[in-house]
Amino acid sequence: MIADLWIRLRALFQRKTVENELDDELQFHFERQVEKLVRSGMTREEARRRVGLEFGGMDQVKEECREARGVRLLETFIRDARYGLRMLGKNRGFAAAAILVLGLGIGANTAIFSVVNAVLLRPLPYPGSSRLVRVWHVPPAKSFPGMKIFSVSPANYYDWAAQNHVFESMAIYNYARADLTGLAQPEMVQLARVSASLFSVLRTQPMLGHAFLPEADQAGHDNQVILSHGFWQSRLGGDPNVIGHQLTLNGKNYTVAGVMGPEFRMMSTPVQIWIPLGWTDKDRATRGVHNYMVIARLKPGVRVEQAQSEMNAISSRLAAAYPEDDAGWGALVVPLREDIVGDVQPALLVLLGAVAFVLLIACANVANLVLAKTLARRKEVAIRSALGAGRWQVLGQVLSETVLVALGGGALGLLLAQLSTSAIVTSLAKELPRATEIRVDGWVLAFTLGISLLTGILAGFLPAWRLTKTNVNEALKQGLGKTDADSGGNRTRSVLVVSEVALSLVLLVGAGLMIRSLWALRQVNPGFDFRGVVTMGIALPQTKYAKRDQQSEFFNKVLRRVRALPGVVAAGTIDALPLGGSGSTQPIAIEGRPVQALSEQPEVAVRLISPGYVEAMRIPVVWGRDFNDADAADTEQVILISESMAREFWPRENPVGRRLILSFVPGVERTIVGVVGDVKAAGLDARQTQATIYVPMNQDPWVWLTLVARTSTPPSSLVSPITAVIHEVDPDQPVMDVKTMDGIVSDSLFDQRFEMLLLASFAALAVLLAAAGIYSVMAYAVRRRVREISIRMALGAQANDVLGMIISDGLKPVLVGIGIGIAGALALGRLLQSLIYGVRSTDPVTFVTVSLLLVVVATLASIAPAFRATRVPPVEALREE
Amino acid sequence: MTEHKVDLPQGTLNLLILRTLALGPEHGWAISERIHQMSSGVLLVQQGSLYPALHRLERRGWIRARWGASENNRRAKYYELTKSGRRQLEAEKSDWMELAGAVAQVLETV
Repeated sequence: MIADLWIRLRALFQRKTVENELDDELQFHFERQVEKLVRSGMTREEARRRVGLEFGGMDQVKEECREARGVRLLETFIRDARYGLRMLGKNRGFAAAAILVLGLGIGANTAIFSVVNAVLLRPLPYPGSSRLVRVWHVPPAKSFPGMKIFSVSPANYYDWAAQNHVFESMAIYNYARADLTGLAQPEMVQLARVSASLFSVLRTQPMLGHAFLPEADQAGHDNQVILSHGFWQSRLGGDPNVIGHQLTLNGKNYTVAGVMGPEFRMMSTPVQIWIPLGWTDKDRATRGVHNYMVIARLKPGVRVEQAQSEMNAISSRLAAAYPEDDAGWGALVVPLREDIVGDVQPALLVLLGAVAFVLLIACANVANLVLAKTLARRKEVAIRSALGAGRWQVLGQVLSETVLVALGGGALGLLLAQLSTSAIVTSLAKELPRATEIRVDGWVLAFTLGISLLTGILAGFLPAWRLTKTNVNEALKQGLGKTDADSGGNRTRSVLVVSEVALSLVLLVGAGLMIRSLWALRQVNPGFDFRGVVTMGIALPQTKYAKRDQQSEFFNKVLRRVRALPGVVAAGTIDALPLGGSGSTQPIAIEGRPVQALSEQPEVAVRLISPGYVEAMRIPVVWGRDFNDADAADTEQVILISESMAREFWPRENPVGRRLILSFVPGVERTIVGVVGDVKAAGLDARQTQATIYVPMNQDPWVWLTLVARTSTPPSSLVSPITAVIHEVDPDQPVMDVKTMDGIVSDSLFDQRFEMLLLASFAALAVLLAAAGIYSVMAYAVRRRVREISIRMALGAQANDVLGMIISDGLKPVLVGIGIGIAGALALGRLLQSLIYGVRSTDPVTFVTVSLLLVVVATLASIAPAFRATRVPPVEALREE
Repeated sequence: MTEHKVDLPQGTLNLLILRTLALGPEHGWAISERIHQMSSGVLLVQQGSLYPALHRLERRGWIRARWGASENNRRAKYYELTKSGRRQLEAEKSDWMELAGAVAQVLETV
């Protein structure tokens, strides 16, 4: 085998030497044979002649030896490639056009694939990441309608960890933000509060220093932090002596114990500082409050299904042991990667399919161009066939050109994709999980090479195949330039047009459905008026505002001054904005109804608001009243409830005056004083709105609230005045997350908008390519019929009639394409169903609009060439022989 | 005696070449001469089949080639049997014997 390889390599790289050796060898044999005959009495000339005859067909022998050497195939490739390059050099216009078209198509594919590769295909950046799983709580369906997963409580986590036999290690964590002081700039930083076991579950240790020790999970031993690499570089200048450095978070002092490496990511949230759990015994015993997330590493050999059944068993045991907190609560084990990227998988795959369609259309266009060229070379091909070139050899020749062009397009596409990578990453970083891992790596290169080759073969195959069917006689007989009775070429062109139109239609339907879906979402009434509202977040440091009345005093002061600003119509605060992605829930006990265990009680969303919030957001007050300043800490505890909650719990009566208890604050009865309209807090596309209770800020103050102000002038114009007012009250208080409500609503639709924009761009590109394809096919077809057209016109046919005839003939394949496309779109539409809102995947309006659009585009593309044909004077046309 | 220009099937030619080289390294022309002699003039191997066969055998690693000086001090390419070539020769030889015996048996049987 080694000998084989060696010989092949020599034959490939030292061709000249090997060829010479063969010549020498045969020459030697020749000479010896001649000598033999001379010795037996013949003359030298006679001997030479005899041996020469015997030897005959030296080249044949050489050829067989070459074949025996086994590099024929590769040598043929190289020869074809060289020839192809020469031909392309002669035909630069074609080469440039084809490379450009394919470059765009392949580039788009490469870009999308690099995203799919980083997000869906590549394993998570932790060692042994396939063994990592997420463990969710599954809440009882009764109290949490529509919620399949929920966060975890500390006590349950410890029981899970103690009782299971399927996990090698488990870790618990959540995210938080805090005021950082003690460094150059005070700022708000993104934290992760993690158990010490996190680093062993993820099998990643800090680059500098060390991870948290197990005792850091306890309060009192938790004053260490670990920094992210980026944070260490930007805020501490990459100081190598950073271990031991002090900093302050929310007023508490910490020491830097370690720094993570540059590649480490915390799932998909950009964390700057890790802090330990620091839990008290009370924290650890909390079972009914669920605020944390859990990951685990499976033991070797344990499958996810096994882990799931064990967790089910443990959950039943816990539900039986602690019915108050855990009745009805289950657990769900999901592989970590699936957990992180599962949501975006359908959307990304749709994009991958769409961009593949665009490439196919580009292929068809190039195939069309190649077809025109190859038909002009029929004579050459005929001669080659006559001289003994096999069908495959001719095929190889044509394909080598298209493959070269495709490889050129691939190089261009790779360049385009590489250039756009950083733009892609920045725009997607906040919305797409693992976006920061997107890059052009080995897999992407391999993918690009693969589809370039495939594209080249695809684009060249049909025309090349047709060419090999050339009738040698016919081709040699015909003169150059004469239009030939060549129906085969026509059929191939029709096939290309049909496929381009069909593919374009499918893409257009997809884009159309996304556009309609986005429009439908925009029409949804979110329950509040989001135009003309500005918001900003204020997080008071707890060390400075330790007492509750200090907190409410601050916000009340700020609100009074903000309301006095010119341009402010109304202002209020809330702890969690709608569409903000956060917000707490609590079980409730309604007065006068039978007492239930905590885990059986209905769970409602709870929001803290000040007077003025409802007015600022223009949420309708359906019954009763809004909060006012009379609702203070020492007066009757009041609440507002949402309309759906009123309907659910007090179906045919006015609930104002009823009382209930928030079960996390037992003993405090609260009276309903008003019912307000529902707010789509979870998302515009949410099917149900959760029952919501509003608690007055003055009766339950909190340090972290969002200020909401409705303005009569453009909202952004009031940002500085409002900030100034806040600094009047407390000059050291930073504000954060300054956004308009309009912007927040837009952001919540980011995914749909992004998908729609991409699909629409691809569809537009596809239509453009298809139109170009139809145009060139039409131009060619019309050129062939110039004689016929001129005769018709000379015989009295009107230009318009002839025009109509040409165009309707040209539209036939387009209509067939539309038909096939509709069938395809109906079948594939189901894949989009999960991504669209408010419109069916078989929506007739979209289908009809798109079909009409294509007919119009095709007609326009056909008009120019057809029109020009009718203008050719008959005499000229008839002369063109 | 008459000279048969018998067209040997490739497998048989391989066998003959290997057999010839078992007697010692030879260059191409000498191999063809030797086969001619050893078959008492019946088998004449033309260079058109000899050299492709030699190259194929070389690729299989059963023979190896080197350039050397011939009897009359001309440069010639010599072939010699390798260890695996020797093993292959034995294997093919016994296969051939078995085949020839069987064929003969069939022809003899009435």
